[in-house]
Amino acid sequence: MDPRQELGLAHTRRYFFGRTAAGLGTAALASVMNPGLGRADSVGAAGSAAIGQTGGVLAGLHHAPTAKRVIWLFMADAPSQLDLYDYKPGLKEYYDKDLPESVRSGQRITTMTSGQKRFPVAPSVFNFQQHGQHGAWISDLLPEIAKIADDITIVKSMHTEAINHDPAITFIQTGSEFPGRPSAGAWISYGIGSPNRDLPAFVVLHSRLAPGSSSQALFSRLWGSGFLPTKHAGVSMRSSGDPVLYLSNPPGVTSDRRRKMLDALGQLNQKKFEQVGDPEIVSRIAQYEMAFRMQTSVPELADISSEPKAVLDMYGPDVTQPGSFAYNCLLARRLAERGVPYTQVFLRGWDHHGGLPGNIRQLVKACDQPSAALIRDLKQRGMLDDTLVVWGGEFGRTVYSQGTLTPDNYGRDHHPRNYSMWLAGGGIKPGLVYGETDDFSYNVVKDPVHVHDLNATIMHCLGINHERLTYHLQGRDFRLTDVHGKVVRDILV
Amino acid sequence: MKQIALPRAGWLVVSAVVVFAAPHFARGADGKIIFNRDIRPILSNNCYKCHGFDDKERKAGLRFDTEEGMRKELESGDRAIVPGKSAESSLIERIMSDDATLRMPPPGTGKVLTPPQKALLKRWIDEGAEFKQHWSFIAPTRPAAPEIGNRQSAIGNSIDRFVLARLEREGMQPSPSADKITLIRRLTLDLTGLPPTPADVDAFVADPAPAAYEKLIDRLLASPRFGEHLGRYWLDAARYGDTHGLHFDNERSLWPYREWVINAFNANKPFDQFTVEQLAGDLLPSPTLEQRIATGFNRCNVSTSEGGSIDEEVRVRYAVDRVETTSTVFLGLTLGCAVCHSHKFDPVSQEEFYGLFSFFNSVADNAMDGNALLPPPVIKLPKEEQTVQLKVIDDQLAALNQQAEAEVKKVEYVEPPVVAGKSATDPFEFVWIDDAAPSGAQLQGDSPWEFVSKPEPVFSGEKATKRTGTGTSQHYFTGANPGLKVGEGDKLFAYVYLDPVNPPKTVMLQWNDGTWEHRAFWGDDTIAFGSGDVPGHRKLGALPEAGKWVRLEVDAAHVGLPAGKVLNGWAFTQFAGTVYWDKAGIVTRTPQDNAGFESQLAWEVYDKAQAQSKVPQPVRDAIKVEADKRNDDQKKLIRNYFVERVYAKARPTFDPIHQKIDALTKQRTDIDGSIPSTMVMADMAAQRETFLLIRGAYDKKGQKVTAGVPAVLPPLPKDAPVNRLGLAKWLVDPSHPLTARVTVNRFWQQLFGRGIVKTSEDFGAQGQWPSHPELLDWLAVEFRESGWNVKHLFKLMAMSATYQQSSRMSPEMAARDPENELLARGPRFRMDAEVVRDTALAASGLLVDRIGGKSGKIYQPDGLWEAVSFVGSNSGTFKQDTGEALYRRSLYTFWKRTSPPPSLLTFDAPSRETCTVRRARTNTPLQALVLLNDKQYVEAARQLAQRMLLEGGSTPADRIAHAFRLATSRRPTSDELAILTNIYQSQLLEFQADKESATKLLSYGDSKRNESLDAPDHAAWTMVANVILNLDETVTKE
Repeated sequence: MDPRQELGLAHTRRYFFGRTAAGLGTAALASVMNPGLGRADSVGAAGSAAIGQTGGVLAGLHHAPTAKRVIWLFMADAPSQLDLYDYKPGLKEYYDKDLPESVRSGQRITTMTSGQKRFPVAPSVFNFQQHGQHGAWISDLLPEIAKIADDITIVKSMHTEAINHDPAITFIQTGSEFPGRPSAGAWISYGIGSPNRDLPAFVVLHSRLAPGSSSQALFSRLWGSGFLPTKHAGVSMRSSGDPVLYLSNPPGVTSDRRRKMLDALGQLNQKKFEQVGDPEIVSRIAQYEMAFRMQTSVPELADISSEPKAVLDMYGPDVTQPGSFAYNCLLARRLAERGVPYTQVFLRGWDHHGGLPGNIRQLVKACDQPSAALIRDLKQRGMLDDTLVVWGGEFGRTVYSQGTLTPDNYGRDHHPRNYSMWLAGGGIKPGLVYGETDDFSYNVVKDPVHVHDLNATIMHCLGINHERLTYHLQGRDFRLTDVHGKVVRDILV
Repeated sequence: MKQIALPRAGWLVVSAVVVFAAPHFARGADGKIIFNRDIRPILSNNCYKCHGFDDKERKAGLRFDTEEGMRKELESGDRAIVPGKSAESSLIERIMSDDATLRMPPPGTGKVLTPPQKALLKRWIDEGAEFKQHWSFIAPTRPAAPEIGNRQSAIGNSIDRFVLARLEREGMQPSPSADKITLIRRLTLDLTGLPPTPADVDAFVADPAPAAYEKLIDRLLASPRFGEHLGRYWLDAARYGDTHGLHFDNERSLWPYREWVINAFNANKPFDQFTVEQLAGDLLPSPTLEQRIATGFNRCNVSTSEGGSIDEEVRVRYAVDRVETTSTVFLGLTLGCAVCHSHKFDPVSQEEFYGLFSFFNSVADNAMDGNALLPPPVIKLPKEEQTVQLKVIDDQLAALNQQAEAEVKKVEYVEPPVVAGKSATDPFEFVWIDDAAPSGAQLQGDSPWEFVSKPEPVFSGEKATKRTGTGTSQHYFTGANPGLKVGEGDKLFAYVYLDPVNPPKTVMLQWNDGTWEHRAFWGDDTIAFGSGDVPGHRKLGALPEAGKWVRLEVDAAHVGLPAGKVLNGWAFTQFAGTVYWDKAGIVTRTPQDNAGFESQLAWEVYDKAQAQSKVPQPVRDAIKVEADKRNDDQKKLIRNYFVERVYAKARPTFDPIHQKIDALTKQRTDIDGSIPSTMVMADMAAQRETFLLIRGAYDKKGQKVTAGVPAVLPPLPKDAPVNRLGLAKWLVDPSHPLTARVTVNRFWQQLFGRGIVKTSEDFGAQGQWPSHPELLDWLAVEFRESGWNVKHLFKLMAMSATYQQSSRMSPEMAARDPENELLARGPRFRMDAEVVRDTALAASGLLVDRIGGKSGKIYQPDGLWEAVSFVGSNSGTFKQDTGEALYRRSLYTFWKRTSPPPSLLTFDAPSRETCTVRRARTNTPLQALVLLNDKQYVEAARQLAQRMLLEGGSTPADRIAHAFRLATSRRPTSDELAILTNIYQSQLLEFQADKESATKLLSYGDSKRNESLDAPDHAAWTMVANVILNLDETVTKE
């Protein structure tokens, strides 16, 4: 971005508060959380023609969007594509034979298995069947997702760069393997803001770990704002304690008491403003009012007691337990209904280096039904058309076994060269399988989709040209996709 | 509240557009174009990507970053720029073109030149197309301070001359001086990060002397709080954290480095030394401990130990981080782009990047941090008493060792004669469990152990154990001491008798060496412990025959118990039926129950057979030599070790000595472990070769590169070594154009909220033109010539009239210069996260002002670490500290980098994963929630309320005034008093009617309240204090 735009943006709030006095009054005050209202005339973001105003830095979207919001069911720790979506019946014959060197072609592997003397092929122990009108192969582990096959596009040709969790998950979330960049949700918040003035633009939901299961770590940088202002950071909604940090009044302070206290505070701050003339004070007054409104709107959001039984049943029995993946999927729908543009639900525990068949059986129990229910629920409300749902994680897993291979037990190491995800709604073609991998699910052989391409495509669906949502810092224009990424038009409606 | 009345300002939006279109408020006094200010940014931002420094990307052979390049005849025969003749310059033709295929910048780039920019380029060419090297690469010289005619009253020192000259050009007036109360608060916050006390304020206001202000500055600069405050900014730049930052994100120990930084600022260590010691303290001649601690600066980078990582890839990342941090902090240049390709905007080639990289490529830290508290290299920093304690222990240990040595000499050992038919090395049966369990064993079971005697079945001794169950049933013990030692090829055994009338489905033996994953069973697989054919689940056959005693025998290694394991527990398990167990133990060659060997020969044979052994390697090596080939030293070594450690008859002599040695050694380890240590830098003995990495990939090596600095900057000093020390000396060499400028700019930014170069992290071509270029140079030269005197610089800035101006702004001023770039008023901005919190602690009287030491974990909501952490990380579960740690200054807060303290993060504190030299400053509802509801601030409010009641006088007005002064330094106006009195009275009535709420509010937070105070009254004042701590003015420096 031009430095002058940056200067302008840094002060837009001050300018549009200037307008308040020009007669816009409370309407402009209400737009505190929607600063774009006051900004469209001041920033011609990257010279684009405005297609609908946004609540972020973009004066207008770059093109007509197909999605108004994104829900990403993030499968942290990397599910095995070989046991879920990437059907390789031919591998049975290769059981316990070495992965041909021609397939591996010297590709680097993690030091967890690079010391292994052999790379024995481990065919999946799970059965696959064809589903949907297009006959997509889906593992029996996912009976419910199989039933929505006609609504989703399975991408089998995802690939990424890093081979370990920390850099890889940082990469898919921020476009860089190194800490320091804004997360995708923060970019969206920065670019288009939120239409809901009572809720943040980027919400993160953490699913509780199943008891006894282990998992990789997450990092606040994964939903952090990097070098963007911290207000764009994802707000973690929590399942215990305050749903948003510090939301509840302290013990002994009722909402009424808080109201009176805020009235006094507002009056005093107003007096200070009259004395020193700093527009930041006006903004601060408005932020306190917003905080007060959040104290009502957020608990209302998290309270699912008004959901009909049929809806709850759809998500499964765990849905009533706050913090379960099922509960979080339902909450994601409630956030979508309220206009929140970017929600991520994290489900951890897919890091199946050993004992994969047993462990994955446990995890899909928590994952399968709620994932499918979210799609069905959005669809029945007519919201799937403009809500983009993404399902997947940071990389895939190897065809060869890590550790001892037996006919019914094996482990799989990290595999960045190809893996599977699926997308649905919000402009994505329904009922499609995209991309192909070789017979070993080791290399992409057709229609590769890089992580940058995925992020570019998500932005595209939201009406954003990923090359033109930038932030000028340290001498260059940063963007989510760095200098890469192309929109995967083949999977778009 | 619903109506926000702002003075007439409807025109503001219009002026905003003007500001956007013209980045600078006015051209030079004569309207002359200044290339670096007016033209270079346009070229850099729009053209350099294809026509800049990077020769790989360069199109049409055209470059705009050198004078020659932009004027030369192109391959096409055109000239982009013909000085004085815009009509002949193809640059103008191309930027004006309507033809999208010709137009520059190409439409595909998304770059668009505005009409004023086009006009400016045209004018520049017509005026001669003057070219200058980028300003920041030219070493600063001290400019003459401008003469300011009749404005003497507005001049405090030379700084003001530069500021006034600019204001005059802009046709603006400076603001009058702020009042004394505002000044002391501003100054105290800026130099110490804390508000002044009411007594400080009174003393300053009461001092009419003209020198009172200067005296105040001197006092604050001498305060130990100064070093903490300055250090806190520096630690952002140094990316200091208390955890490794990646993957496990375990705790690390670097806090002595933090202490070093604080002490360095307090001692006013010259900034050049400060720089050299941090970058290369270890390379100085005979470095002091302190100089080595300083090198923690470049150990602050995030590190990993993630399984599967490739060492070299990780090591490259660390070196890149160190180059980037060093260049951002000292050079104000972002060189990260050059990791993968030559810089597009600044004249730094990829090769030059790896030249800098090379300085950090031979550091001695491992790629994998091992998730350790102290990944080497580290140094120990014992306190004096610890050194003394260790000395005492070492002396005692030496005496004991001498005693042992003397005893060894006294022992006369003769190899016992071999008994015919029996070898001393034969395995023997050691019975561990017979009529009783071994010593230390804690007996447990589904029902208590049942010992039975004849006539029930008994195999050995007087008793057997008996158990009858329906499903899985067992008795077992753990905690046996001494444990059962497993040696090479050992077999575990037990005798079992199955009741023929009521036989079980399964019998199982389990052993515990810390876990129970060692099981053998006979019969059906009915017992739900373990699965598959693994050491935790070995099927050894069918059920033994019922109605007779059967010996069960198990290869220890087969159930995961190789030589060297020590068992502390044993379980007898069955599924249904009635089972008797008797005599159990091990067939082994290993002496048990601390017994030794009678024969050296037998012991030697035994030890040679062990894959692993506790016998020291030199002794083992000697044993491996055949007896008749051993030299005298080897014989003596073996014999002495045997006598002291193994020989059964000498146990009564040596065991007590060894027990004493062991106890002292443990004591020593404990003391040693409590000695603070810190991570430091060191180079490997042998230099690692550096290669240019193609596209930054660690495994794609290009040409070999030697250490060096970019050509656009001065060369390394002649006498400097080509290592980190040379690099550090180069940075602070008087000829260096950047270090002093970048540093003074950052200090300026601390006081004024905005640097003279706003992009304090980027002084390159893409950075912003300085608002006051001559002032920046003047300050840089002054700083350097003062001996890099940091306190002198701060005093200079604070003494300026510019700094002392009132920060009030008229709507006109707010509109014309929202960022206060021109400095026509004093600074006013929301304080940094740490200052906000420290101010609340100070006002409430909770602040503990001890300097230095380890970090503390302050209040934070439950579950935050758990939500993100790796299972097993030692920072996976948050355990809040108690007492003093809750109330120390915020820079001592434990910084877990993957989940930093949320109350500080919300106020824009960085995660400290990467170097940060400029924080964002946002204003969000989440900040309001922190100040309203965080336990820390609510507790501060009730403590402030307590102060109001105990020391604030007796009337509500006096009490309010006291709190108001503690938070904002000034007294409230009568209007403010009325609002606060009103809230007090209404809250008092409410709390009197609802005492339970009062009690709840007053018990929030760890600190005790004065119970003699009336609860409803205290609670009502707490709400008043809550208002005061939330005031814009309380969290703002003005």
